Amino acid sequence: MFKGFKFTRKIENTLMLIFTFIFLGYISMSPDMNLESLKGVLIIGITVGIIYGLVAVGISLIYTGLDVVNFSHGEFFMLGAFTGLTVYNFLIDGELIYAIFPDAYGWVGYVIGLFFAFVIMGLFGVLIERVFLRPLTKKGGGYTVAGMGIIICGFGLSVVLLNLAYIIWNPTAHPFHADLGLPINIGGVTLPMTYLWMLVTGFTVAGALYFFLNKTKMGLGVRAVAHSKVISNLVGINVPLYISIIFGIACALAGLAGTLVGPTYQVVVYMGYIILLKAFASAVVGGFGSLPGAIVGGFTVGLFETSCAFFISGSHKDAYAFLLMIVVLLIKPTGFFGVQVKMKA
Amino acid sequence: MLKIKSLVSGYGSVQILNGANMKVDNQSIVALLGGNGTGKSTILKACSGIIRTWKGSINFNGEDIQNLPPHNIVEKGLVQVTQGKDVFPAMTVLENLRLGGFTLKSKQTLNDNIEKVFNYFPRLNERKSQLAATLSGGELQMLCIGRGLMSNPKMIMLDEPSAALAPQIVLDIFKNINKIRKDGLTVLVVEQNVRMALLLADYGYVIKDGVINVEGESKKLMYDESVKDSYLGGGGTTANV
Repeated sequence: MFKGFKFTRKIENTLMLIFTFIFLGYISMSPDMNLESLKGVLIIGITVGIIYGLVAVGISLIYTGLDVVNFSHGEFFMLGAFTGLTVYNFLIDGELIYAIFPDAYGWVGYVIGLFFAFVIMGLFGVLIERVFLRPLTKKGGGYTVAGMGIIICGFGLSVVLLNLAYIIWNPTAHPFHADLGLPINIGGVTLPMTYLWMLVTGFTVAGALYFFLNKTKMGLGVRAVAHSKVISNLVGINVPLYISIIFGIACALAGLAGTLVGPTYQVVVYMGYIILLKAFASAVVGGFGSLPGAIVGGFTVGLFETSCAFFISGSHKDAYAFLLMIVVLLIKPTGFFGVQVKMKA
Repeated sequence: MLKIKSLVSGYGSVQILNGANMKVDNQSIVALLGGNGTGKSTILKACSGIIRTWKGSINFNGEDIQNLPPHNIVEKGLVQVTQGKDVFPAMTVLENLRLGGFTLKSKQTLNDNIEKVFNYFPRLNERKSQLAATLSGGELQMLCIGRGLMSNPKMIMLDEPSAALAPQIVLDIFKNINKIRKDGLTVLVVEQNVRMALLLADYGYVIKDGVINVEGESKKLMYDESVKDSYLGGGGTTANV
């Protein structure tokens, strides 16, 4: 176009800043704009964002570890929600929890539900990886034709898991009546306890993941395998085992996020599909393959979506995440924390 | 220490090695020489388990190791050191070294080994908290060799330690390889820098078309006219430095 004109990182960032200002200016002209609503939007946006972030981190982890995008990740989220719900109902409705702890509160059952959703989805993920994806990764993985096979396998897995849930839990929406106590007031905003649980648990798990990846030996191995399988082999890491661990952690995070979301909305068989796309958008916004990027992208998408839904129009709520994704892809294709773009299937 | 018998291997369906035979004695430095695409690196990859051995056997310390998973081979004490660009660029030098000692069980040994590597390469000590991506080519090669030494190996296999480095740095690295051997390790070095490699090594093999073509004491190989003409690019055009 212009000779010597280069679309540098500086221009990208300037354009992103301009877009942010236009957006902030637009929503500040909204008639609903006041401090109260702004606070509410901020808190809810961050809460939704950490959930998107947790699922997006899983997608990014699998992308770096197996070199493919896992399209069945939403189903692990859904199954996690059902696992949590089932465990919670089993403990509370069966009054089993009161038999063990006579003075127990509802949240004890909820914590156990969260724990089971995390562990069972993690083990289930490892099983899926070993049985269905291992033969394909052995044939070459993401860079080869087998990588295409893994992607198609992901779609197929999504349909199979969806129908499995359909058979077990039927298609009606299941309310998740987690007895977590009365809503609390934070800085003038009345917040249901379920939101507080999402916030606190989400941040704790994200922090724990950071600690795991950066401070433990196993986390070092995970990062090494994510970067290069050949070099990891040469330093003596059991690469197939670590790929299973990566897949398991990613699925466990999705399952946990499912149980966190459950009490706020409803647990329904189709809940995995929209969260997959939103988490995908978060991962792209933050920079695909970057783990801090996935969390930051989750916050960005959560805040953008919530503020658009509140200040502009609530009837297109699900479209805003993709609007943001398209804008980011146009202006800053690498995302916020974009690593160098790699050719992967 | 390492005995390779009629090794046949390759990538996918392309056969590269057509029955190579080699022997590396305890505490010696052996050079494996040859032009591009002759199968030098393929032998190393088959030894470290990155690619499958189709036929033949690889014997290390009295055990057959062909087609073992790569991490088991590292645990047995045979480590391949790749070229300098194969580090983890987004990790610090120290983290890269820790990864090298991934098979070690005790933290004490790990720290001792890090000290040992810093003794060989003091430059790494200066750079230990930097990201590996910020290192120069020579430092990267030192890091790669250091990482290979971290797991207490009995033998290391070096893949072109002199590739794309300035002569002064090559000399420095080769001196260190000699020191490593004196400390009790066995070294197999794959090189294109023929003269340097033969100066360093006790014994040399020249590979052509996937089989060992010429072998002998490195002093003899250096003055072997047929070797010079056919494989080492006559008159020393590839063998400068």
